[in-house]
Amino acid sequence: MTISAKNMITSIEIRAVASVAALFFAGAIMAADESLVTKGKYLLHAGGCITCHTKDEEDAIPLAGGRALESPFGTFYSPNITPDVDTGIGGWSDDDFTTALWEGLNPEGDHYFPAFPFTAYTGISRDDALAIKAYLFSIDAVSRTNLEHDLPFYMSTRLAAGAWKLRYFDAGRFTPDTEQSDQWNRGAYLVRHFGHCGECHTPRGRLGVLLEDEELAGNPEFGDDETVPNITADKKHGIGRWSLSDIEYFLDIGMLPDGDFTGGAMGAVIEDNTSQLTREDRLAIATYIKSLPAKQIVL
Amino acid sequence: MQLRRTGALIGIAAMLGLSVQVAAETLAEDAKKYRVSIMTTLKGHIGAASMTVRGLVDDNGQLAGHAAGLVSGTAELNNIFQEGSAVDHSEALPSIWEQPEKFAAAIKQAQEATVAFQEAVAGGDGEAIGAAFRTMGKSCGGCHDDFREEHDH
Repeated sequence: MTISAKNMITSIEIRAVASVAALFFAGAIMAADESLVTKGKYLLHAGGCITCHTKDEEDAIPLAGGRALESPFGTFYSPNITPDVDTGIGGWSDDDFTTALWEGLNPEGDHYFPAFPFTAYTGISRDDALAIKAYLFSIDAVSRTNLEHDLPFYMSTRLAAGAWKLRYFDAGRFTPDTEQSDQWNRGAYLVRHFGHCGECHTPRGRLGVLLEDEELAGNPEFGDDETVPNITADKKHGIGRWSLSDIEYFLDIGMLPDGDFTGGAMGAVIEDNTSQLTREDRLAIATYIKSLPAKQIVL
Repeated sequence: MQLRRTGALIGIAAMLGLSVQVAAETLAEDAKKYRVSIMTTLKGHIGAASMTVRGLVDDNGQLAGHAAGLVSGTAELNNIFQEGSAVDHSEALPSIWEQPEKFAAAIKQAQEATVAFQEAVAGGDGEAIGAAFRTMGKSCGGCHDDFREEHDH
Protein backbone atom coordinates (compact mmCIF):
# COMPACT_ATOMS: atom_id res chain seq x y z
CA MET A 1 0.00 0.00 0.00
CA THR A 2 1.39 3.39 -0.98
CA ILE A 3 1.41 6.30 1.36
CA SER A 4 -1.04 8.21 -0.75
CA ALA A 5 -3.41 5.23 -0.76
CA LYS A 6 -3.10 5.03 3.02
CA ASN A 7 -3.86 8.69 3.30
CA MET A 8 -6.85 8.24 1.02
CA ILE A 9 -8.25 5.44 3.17
CA THR A 10 -7.65 7.49 6.28
CA SER A 11 -9.44 10.37 4.64
CA ILE A 12 -12.39 8.12 3.76
CA GLU A 13 -12.43 6.78 7.29
CA ILE A 14 -12.41 10.27 8.73
CA ARG A 15 -15.24 11.32 6.46
CA ALA A 16 -17.20 8.22 7.35
CA VAL A 17 -16.71 8.85 11.05
CA ALA A 18 -17.62 12.49 10.53
CA SER A 19 -20.80 11.51 8.68
CA VAL A 20 -21.80 9.10 11.42
CA ALA A 21 -21.07 11.76 14.01
CA ALA A 22 -23.06 14.33 12.04
CA LEU A 23 -25.97 11.93 11.80
CA PHE A 24 -25.68 11.19 15.51
CA PHE A 25 -25.67 14.84 16.46
CA ALA A 26 -28.45 15.66 14.00
CA GLY A 27 -30.47 12.85 15.58
CA ALA A 28 -29.65 14.15 19.02
CA ILE A 29 -30.70 17.66 18.02
CA MET A 30 -33.94 16.36 16.53
CA ALA A 31 -34.59 14.38 19.70
CA ALA A 32 -33.85 17.47 21.76
CA ASP A 33 -36.20 19.54 19.58
CA GLU A 34 -38.89 16.91 19.92
CA SER A 35 -38.41 16.85 23.65
CA LEU A 36 -38.63 20.66 23.77
CA VAL A 37 -41.81 20.61 21.70
CA THR A 38 -43.33 17.96 23.97
CA LYS A 39 -42.42 20.02 27.02
CA GLY A 40 -43.84 23.11 25.37
CA LYS A 41 -47.12 21.40 24.60
CA TYR A 42 -47.46 20.36 28.23
CA LEU A 43 -46.69 23.87 29.45
CA LEU A 44 -49.10 25.34 26.93
CA HIS A 45 -51.84 23.38 28.71
CA ALA A 46 -50.51 24.53 32.08
CA GLY A 47 -50.65 28.12 30.84
CA GLY A 48 -54.25 27.95 29.72
CA CYS A 49 -53.31 29.29 26.29
CA ILE A 50 -55.70 27.05 24.37
CA THR A 51 -58.85 28.17 26.16
CA CYS A 52 -58.44 31.87 25.45
CA HIS A 53 -56.74 31.62 22.07
CA THR A 54 -59.39 29.34 20.58
CA LYS A 55 -62.78 30.56 19.47
CA ASP A 56 -65.64 29.33 21.64
CA GLU A 57 -67.21 27.28 18.87
CA GLU A 58 -67.35 23.62 18.06
CA ASP A 59 -64.66 22.67 15.53
CA ALA A 60 -62.80 25.96 16.11
CA ILE A 61 -59.15 25.79 15.07
CA PRO A 62 -57.03 25.65 18.22
CA LEU A 63 -54.85 28.67 18.97
CA ALA A 64 -56.03 30.65 15.93
CA GLY A 65 -57.64 33.22 18.25
CA GLY A 66 -60.94 35.04 17.94
CA ARG A 67 -62.42 34.19 21.32
CA ALA A 68 -64.43 37.03 22.84
CA LEU A 69 -63.29 37.77 26.38
CA GLU A 70 -65.96 39.82 28.13
CA SER A 71 -64.78 42.13 30.89
CA PRO A 72 -66.06 45.17 32.77
CA PHE A 73 -63.76 47.20 30.49
CA GLY A 74 -65.15 45.94 27.20
CA THR A 75 -64.72 42.91 24.98
CA PHE A 76 -61.28 41.71 24.03
CA TYR A 77 -60.68 39.30 21.16
CA SER A 78 -57.79 36.90 21.56
CA PRO A 79 -55.18 36.92 18.77
CA ASN A 80 -53.97 34.19 16.48
CA ILE A 81 -50.85 32.56 17.97
CA THR A 82 -50.25 29.96 15.29
CA PRO A 83 -46.98 30.39 13.35
CA ASP A 84 -48.57 32.20 10.41
CA VAL A 85 -46.14 34.98 9.52
CA ASP A 86 -48.76 37.52 8.44
CA THR A 87 -51.57 37.01 10.93
CA GLY A 88 -49.96 34.96 13.71
CA ILE A 89 -46.61 34.92 15.50
CA GLY A 90 -44.57 33.19 12.79
CA GLY A 91 -42.20 36.14 12.46
CA TRP A 92 -41.42 36.41 16.15
CA SER A 93 -37.94 35.86 17.58
CA ASP A 94 -37.29 34.22 20.94
CA ASP A 95 -36.87 37.63 22.50
CA ASP A 96 -40.11 38.87 20.93
CA PHE A 97 -41.87 35.96 22.58
CA THR A 98 -40.36 36.41 26.04
CA THR A 99 -40.90 40.17 25.87
CA ALA A 100 -44.58 39.59 25.18
CA LEU A 101 -44.89 37.23 28.13
CA TRP A 102 -42.68 39.11 30.54
CA GLU A 103 -43.26 42.75 29.66
CA GLY A 104 -46.64 42.79 27.94
CA LEU A 105 -45.21 44.31 24.77
CA ASN A 106 -45.65 43.20 21.18
CA PRO A 107 -42.68 43.12 18.75
CA GLU A 108 -43.49 46.69 17.67
CA GLY A 109 -43.23 47.82 21.27
CA ASP A 110 -46.95 48.42 21.73
CA HIS A 111 -48.50 47.64 25.08
CA TYR A 112 -50.85 44.72 25.55
CA PHE A 113 -53.95 45.23 27.63
CA PRO A 114 -53.83 43.11 30.77
CA ALA A 115 -56.61 40.93 29.37
CA PHE A 116 -53.50 39.08 28.16
CA PRO A 117 -52.19 37.84 31.51
CA PHE A 118 -48.60 39.01 31.16
CA THR A 119 -48.95 40.12 34.77
CA ALA A 120 -48.89 36.39 35.60
CA TYR A 121 -46.73 35.12 32.73
CA THR A 122 -43.95 37.50 33.75
CA GLY A 123 -42.94 34.87 36.32
CA ILE A 124 -42.34 32.13 33.73
CA SER A 125 -38.72 31.10 33.20
CA ARG A 126 -37.02 31.66 29.84
CA ASP A 127 -36.56 27.92 29.29
CA ASP A 128 -40.24 27.26 29.86
CA ALA A 129 -41.31 30.22 27.71
CA LEU A 130 -39.15 29.07 24.81
CA ALA A 131 -40.45 25.51 25.13
CA ILE A 132 -43.95 26.92 24.60
CA LYS A 133 -42.71 28.88 21.61
CA ALA A 134 -41.11 25.74 20.18
CA TYR A 135 -44.43 23.95 20.40
CA LEU A 136 -46.36 26.86 18.88
CA PHE A 137 -43.90 26.95 15.99
CA SER A 138 -44.35 23.20 15.44
CA ILE A 139 -48.09 23.39 14.72
CA ASP A 140 -49.74 24.28 11.42
CA ALA A 141 -49.89 27.96 10.56
CA VAL A 142 -53.41 29.30 10.24
CA SER A 143 -54.16 32.50 8.37
CA ARG A 144 -56.76 34.32 10.44
CA THR A 145 -56.73 38.06 10.84
CA ASN A 146 -57.09 39.29 14.40
CA LEU A 147 -60.24 41.14 15.40
CA GLU A 148 -60.20 44.63 16.87
CA HIS A 149 -61.13 44.81 20.54
CA ASP A 150 -64.49 46.37 21.34
CA LEU A 151 -63.58 48.90 24.03
CA PRO A 152 -64.90 52.20 25.40
CA PHE A 153 -63.30 55.42 24.17
CA TYR A 154 -60.97 55.80 27.17
CA MET A 155 -59.43 52.42 26.35
CA SER A 156 -59.22 53.01 22.63
CA THR A 157 -55.47 53.59 22.66
CA ARG A 158 -52.79 51.23 23.88
CA LEU A 159 -51.24 54.17 25.69
CA ALA A 160 -53.93 53.57 28.31
CA ALA A 161 -52.49 50.09 28.79
CA GLY A 162 -49.02 51.62 29.07
CA ALA A 163 -50.14 54.05 31.75
CA TRP A 164 -51.79 51.20 33.64
CA LYS A 165 -48.62 49.12 33.50
CA LEU A 166 -46.47 51.99 34.67
CA ARG A 167 -48.61 52.32 37.76
CA TYR A 168 -49.54 48.73 38.56
CA PHE A 169 -47.22 46.24 36.88
CA ASP A 170 -43.89 44.87 38.06
CA ALA A 171 -42.09 42.43 35.79
CA GLY A 172 -40.10 39.60 37.36
CA ARG A 173 -39.45 35.86 37.26
CA PHE A 174 -40.77 33.47 39.87
CA THR A 175 -38.46 32.98 42.83
CA PRO A 176 -39.01 29.86 44.92
CA ASP A 177 -39.71 30.30 48.62
CA THR A 178 -36.93 28.36 50.32
CA GLU A 179 -39.02 27.89 53.45
CA GLN A 180 -41.64 25.95 51.51
CA SER A 181 -41.49 22.47 50.00
CA ASP A 182 -40.66 21.77 46.36
CA GLN A 183 -44.26 20.68 45.87
CA TRP A 184 -45.59 23.97 47.26
CA ASN A 185 -43.21 25.96 45.06
CA ARG A 186 -44.21 23.99 41.98
CA GLY A 187 -47.84 24.67 42.87
CA ALA A 188 -47.19 28.37 43.40
CA TYR A 189 -45.42 28.59 40.03
CA LEU A 190 -48.30 26.84 38.28
CA VAL A 191 -51.10 28.73 40.04
CA ARG A 192 -49.65 32.24 40.06
CA HIS A 193 -47.84 32.25 36.75
CA PHE A 194 -48.84 29.49 34.35
CA GLY A 195 -52.45 28.86 35.34
CA HIS A 196 -52.99 32.57 36.15
CA CYS A 197 -55.84 31.40 38.39
CA GLY A 198 -55.95 34.77 40.10
CA GLU A 199 -57.04 36.48 36.89
CA CYS A 200 -60.49 35.06 37.52
CA HIS A 201 -60.50 34.03 41.19
CA THR A 202 -58.90 37.08 42.81
CA PRO A 203 -61.05 40.16 43.38
CA ARG A 204 -60.05 43.37 41.65
CA GLY A 205 -59.88 46.92 42.88
CA ARG A 206 -59.77 50.19 40.95
CA LEU A 207 -58.91 49.89 37.27
CA GLY A 208 -58.98 46.13 37.44
CA VAL A 209 -55.94 45.76 39.69
CA LEU A 210 -55.80 42.38 41.43
CA LEU A 211 -56.03 42.66 45.22
CA GLU A 212 -53.03 40.55 46.16
CA ASP A 213 -54.01 40.36 49.83
CA GLU A 214 -57.21 38.64 48.76
CA GLU A 215 -55.54 36.07 46.52
CA LEU A 216 -58.08 33.58 45.10
CA ALA A 217 -60.82 34.89 47.42
CA GLY A 218 -63.34 35.08 44.58
CA ASN A 219 -64.44 37.78 42.23
CA PRO A 220 -67.92 39.20 42.74
CA GLU A 221 -67.71 41.32 39.57
CA PHE A 222 -66.21 39.20 36.86
CA GLY A 223 -68.21 40.80 34.11
CA ASP A 224 -71.41 39.85 32.36
CA ASP A 225 -73.07 39.56 35.81
CA GLU A 226 -70.91 36.58 36.63
CA THR A 227 -69.18 35.81 39.89
CA VAL A 228 -66.19 33.56 40.36
CA PRO A 229 -65.93 31.46 43.51
CA ASN A 230 -63.71 31.93 46.49
CA ILE A 231 -61.19 29.07 46.50
CA THR A 232 -59.30 29.93 49.66
CA ALA A 233 -59.43 27.67 52.70
CA ASP A 234 -62.47 29.35 54.24
CA LYS A 235 -64.82 26.52 55.21
CA LYS A 236 -68.02 28.41 54.62
CA HIS A 237 -67.30 30.62 51.63
CA GLY A 238 -64.29 28.87 50.12
CA ILE A 239 -63.14 25.30 49.65
CA GLY A 240 -61.81 24.72 53.15
CA ARG A 241 -63.68 21.45 53.41
CA TRP A 242 -62.08 20.04 50.28
CA SER A 243 -59.20 17.61 50.71
CA LEU A 244 -56.07 17.67 48.56
CA SER A 245 -57.51 14.67 46.75
CA ASP A 246 -60.81 16.50 46.18
CA ILE A 247 -59.03 19.44 44.57
CA GLU A 248 -56.80 17.18 42.47
CA TYR A 249 -59.77 15.17 41.25
CA PHE A 250 -61.77 18.31 40.50
CA LEU A 251 -58.92 19.60 38.35
CA ASP A 252 -58.79 16.21 36.65
CA ILE A 253 -62.43 15.52 35.77
CA GLY A 254 -64.42 18.50 37.06
CA MET A 255 -66.24 16.71 39.87
CA LEU A 256 -66.97 18.57 43.08
CA PRO A 257 -66.79 16.68 46.38
CA ASP A 258 -70.59 16.47 46.52
CA GLY A 259 -70.78 14.69 43.16
CA ASP A 260 -71.80 17.70 41.09
CA PHE A 261 -69.92 18.49 37.91
CA THR A 262 -68.79 21.91 36.87
CA GLY A 263 -69.42 23.32 33.41
CA GLY A 264 -69.01 26.77 31.89
CA ALA A 265 -65.70 28.58 32.02
CA MET A 266 -64.15 26.28 34.64
CA GLY A 267 -65.28 23.24 32.67
CA ALA A 268 -63.28 24.54 29.72
CA VAL A 269 -60.26 25.26 31.93
CA ILE A 270 -60.35 21.68 33.20
CA GLU A 271 -60.85 20.12 29.79
CA ASP A 272 -58.20 22.17 28.01
CA ASN A 273 -55.70 22.59 30.76
CA THR A 274 -55.70 21.01 34.19
CA SER A 275 -56.88 17.57 33.08
CA GLN A 276 -53.86 17.48 30.75
CA LEU A 277 -51.41 17.90 33.62
CA THR A 278 -49.80 15.12 35.61
CA ARG A 279 -51.38 14.08 38.89
CA GLU A 280 -48.22 15.33 40.63
CA ASP A 281 -48.72 18.82 39.20
CA ARG A 282 -52.41 18.85 40.12
CA LEU A 283 -51.47 17.83 43.66
CA ALA A 284 -48.86 20.60 43.71
CA ILE A 285 -51.57 23.07 42.70
CA ALA A 286 -53.84 21.71 45.42
CA THR A 287 -51.03 21.97 47.99
CA TYR A 288 -50.46 25.62 47.17
CA ILE A 289 -54.16 26.52 47.14
CA LYS A 290 -54.74 24.74 50.46
CA SER A 291 -51.96 26.80 52.02
CA LEU A 292 -53.59 30.14 51.26
CA PRO A 293 -55.20 31.96 54.19
CA ALA A 294 -58.96 31.63 54.48
CA LYS A 295 -60.83 34.67 53.23
CA GLN A 296 -64.45 35.35 53.91
CA ILE A 297 -65.54 37.22 50.85
CA VAL A 298 -69.23 36.60 50.32
CA LEU A 299 -70.15 36.63 46.66
CA MET B 1 -114.13 15.37 49.67
CA GLN B 2 -112.73 15.85 46.20
CA LEU B 3 -110.35 12.92 46.67
CA ARG B 4 -113.21 10.69 47.92
CA ARG B 5 -115.28 11.50 44.85
CA THR B 6 -112.31 10.78 42.52
CA GLY B 7 -111.67 7.53 44.33
CA ALA B 8 -115.29 6.53 43.90
CA LEU B 9 -115.18 7.25 40.19
CA ILE B 10 -112.00 5.20 39.81
CA GLY B 11 -113.62 2.35 41.75
CA ILE B 12 -116.69 2.39 39.51
CA ALA B 13 -114.54 2.48 36.40
CA ALA B 14 -112.43 -0.40 37.71
CA MET B 15 -115.61 -2.44 38.45
CA LEU B 16 -116.70 -1.80 34.91
CA GLY B 17 -113.35 -3.12 33.71
CA LEU B 18 -112.35 0.14 32.18
CA SER B 19 -108.76 1.27 31.90
CA VAL B 20 -108.26 4.22 34.19
CA GLN B 21 -105.67 6.92 33.92
CA VAL B 22 -105.73 9.88 36.23
CA ALA B 23 -104.46 12.74 34.12
CA ALA B 24 -102.96 15.00 36.73
CA GLU B 25 -101.27 18.07 35.33
CA THR B 26 -98.02 18.54 37.19
CA LEU B 27 -97.45 22.06 38.44
CA ALA B 28 -94.31 23.78 37.22
CA GLU B 29 -92.96 24.20 40.75
CA ASP B 30 -93.47 20.51 41.47
CA ALA B 31 -91.82 19.52 38.21
CA LYS B 32 -88.85 21.66 39.16
CA LYS B 33 -88.69 20.18 42.68
CA TYR B 34 -88.80 16.68 41.26
CA ARG B 35 -86.04 17.54 38.80
CA VAL B 36 -83.87 18.91 41.60
CA SER B 37 -84.52 15.74 43.62
CA ILE B 38 -83.44 13.52 40.76
CA MET B 39 -80.33 15.60 40.17
CA THR B 40 -79.50 15.54 43.88
CA THR B 41 -79.90 11.77 43.85
CA LEU B 42 -77.54 11.52 40.90
CA LYS B 43 -75.05 13.74 42.69
CA GLY B 44 -75.21 11.50 45.74
CA HIS B 45 -74.57 8.34 43.76
CA ILE B 46 -71.72 9.89 41.81
CA GLY B 47 -70.10 11.42 44.88
CA ALA B 48 -70.25 8.14 46.79
CA ALA B 49 -69.14 6.06 43.80
CA SER B 50 -66.17 8.36 43.19
CA MET B 51 -64.82 7.64 46.67
CA THR B 52 -64.54 3.97 45.75
CA VAL B 53 -63.39 4.60 42.19
CA ARG B 54 -60.59 6.85 43.48
CA GLY B 55 -59.57 4.14 45.95
CA LEU B 56 -60.28 6.30 48.98
CA VAL B 57 -62.70 3.79 50.52
CA ASP B 58 -63.26 0.06 50.04
CA ASP B 59 -66.19 -1.19 48.05
CA ASN B 60 -68.50 -3.01 50.42
CA GLY B 61 -70.69 -4.12 47.58
CA GLN B 62 -72.33 -0.72 47.23
CA LEU B 63 -70.65 0.39 44.01
CA ALA B 64 -72.98 -1.76 41.94
CA GLY B 65 -75.92 -0.15 43.73
CA HIS B 66 -74.66 3.33 42.98
CA ALA B 67 -74.14 2.36 39.34
CA ALA B 68 -77.71 1.03 39.18
CA GLY B 69 -78.95 4.27 40.74
CA LEU B 70 -77.12 6.27 38.12
CA VAL B 71 -78.62 4.20 35.32
CA SER B 72 -82.17 4.61 36.62
CA GLY B 73 -81.63 8.28 37.48
CA THR B 74 -80.31 9.20 34.04
CA ALA B 75 -83.15 7.21 32.44
CA GLU B 76 -85.51 9.61 34.20
CA LEU B 77 -83.82 12.60 32.58
CA ASN B 78 -86.15 12.11 29.63
CA ASN B 79 -89.11 13.00 31.84
CA ILE B 80 -88.01 15.78 34.14
CA PHE B 81 -87.46 18.74 31.87
CA GLN B 82 -91.05 19.77 31.44
CA GLU B 83 -91.30 22.95 29.38
CA GLY B 84 -92.21 25.90 31.59
CA SER B 85 -90.68 24.34 34.70
CA ALA B 86 -87.71 26.71 34.89
CA VAL B 87 -89.20 28.48 37.91
CA ASP B 88 -88.08 29.45 41.42
CA HIS B 89 -84.44 30.28 40.60
CA SER B 90 -84.12 27.24 38.41
CA GLU B 91 -80.67 26.66 36.94
CA ALA B 92 -82.15 25.07 33.81
CA LEU B 93 -81.26 27.24 30.83
CA PRO B 94 -83.70 28.08 28.03
CA SER B 95 -81.34 26.27 25.66
CA ILE B 96 -82.89 23.01 26.93
CA TRP B 97 -86.12 23.83 25.14
CA GLU B 98 -84.58 25.95 22.38
CA GLN B 99 -82.26 23.18 21.23
CA PRO B 100 -84.25 20.01 21.92
CA GLU B 101 -82.25 17.79 19.59
CA LYS B 102 -78.93 18.83 21.06
CA PHE B 103 -80.30 18.38 24.57
CA ALA B 104 -81.72 14.95 23.74
CA ALA B 105 -78.32 13.93 22.38
CA ALA B 106 -76.63 15.12 25.59
CA ILE B 107 -79.08 13.12 27.70
CA LYS B 108 -78.55 10.05 25.55
CA GLN B 109 -74.82 10.40 26.00
CA ALA B 110 -75.22 10.52 29.77
CA GLN B 111 -77.49 7.48 29.72
CA GLU B 112 -75.07 5.48 27.62
CA ALA B 113 -72.20 6.55 29.87
CA THR B 114 -73.98 5.35 33.02
CA VAL B 115 -74.83 2.02 31.40
CA ALA B 116 -71.19 1.63 30.38
CA PHE B 117 -70.16 2.47 33.93
CA GLN B 118 -72.53 -0.16 35.32
CA GLU B 119 -71.10 -2.73 32.92
CA ALA B 120 -67.56 -1.79 33.92
CA VAL B 121 -68.45 -2.17 37.60
CA ALA B 122 -69.93 -5.61 36.85
CA GLY B 123 -66.70 -6.50 35.02
CA GLY B 124 -64.64 -5.63 38.10
CA ASP B 125 -61.60 -4.21 36.28
CA GLY B 126 -60.42 -1.19 38.27
CA GLU B 127 -58.89 0.60 35.30
CA ALA B 128 -61.98 0.10 33.16
CA ILE B 129 -64.17 1.33 36.03
CA GLY B 130 -62.03 4.45 36.39
CA ALA B 131 -62.13 5.14 32.66
CA ALA B 132 -65.91 4.63 32.50
CA PHE B 133 -66.38 6.93 35.49
CA ARG B 134 -64.30 9.60 33.79
CA THR B 135 -66.39 9.33 30.60
CA MET B 136 -69.55 9.52 32.66
CA GLY B 137 -68.28 12.64 34.40
CA LYS B 138 -67.44 14.21 31.08
CA SER B 139 -71.00 13.67 29.90
CA CYS B 140 -72.32 15.36 33.06
CA GLY B 141 -69.99 18.33 32.72
CA GLY B 142 -70.69 18.68 29.00
CA CYS B 143 -74.43 18.86 29.60
CA HIS B 144 -74.01 21.35 32.46
CA ASP B 145 -71.80 23.45 30.22
CA ASP B 146 -74.51 23.97 27.63
CA PHE B 147 -77.75 23.61 29.55
CA ARG B 148 -77.23 24.68 33.17
CA GLU B 149 -76.71 28.14 34.51
CA GLU B 150 -73.17 28.72 35.61
CA HIS B 151 -73.03 29.05 39.36
CA ASP B 152 -70.62 29.20 42.25
CA HIS B 153 -69.99 25.97 44.03
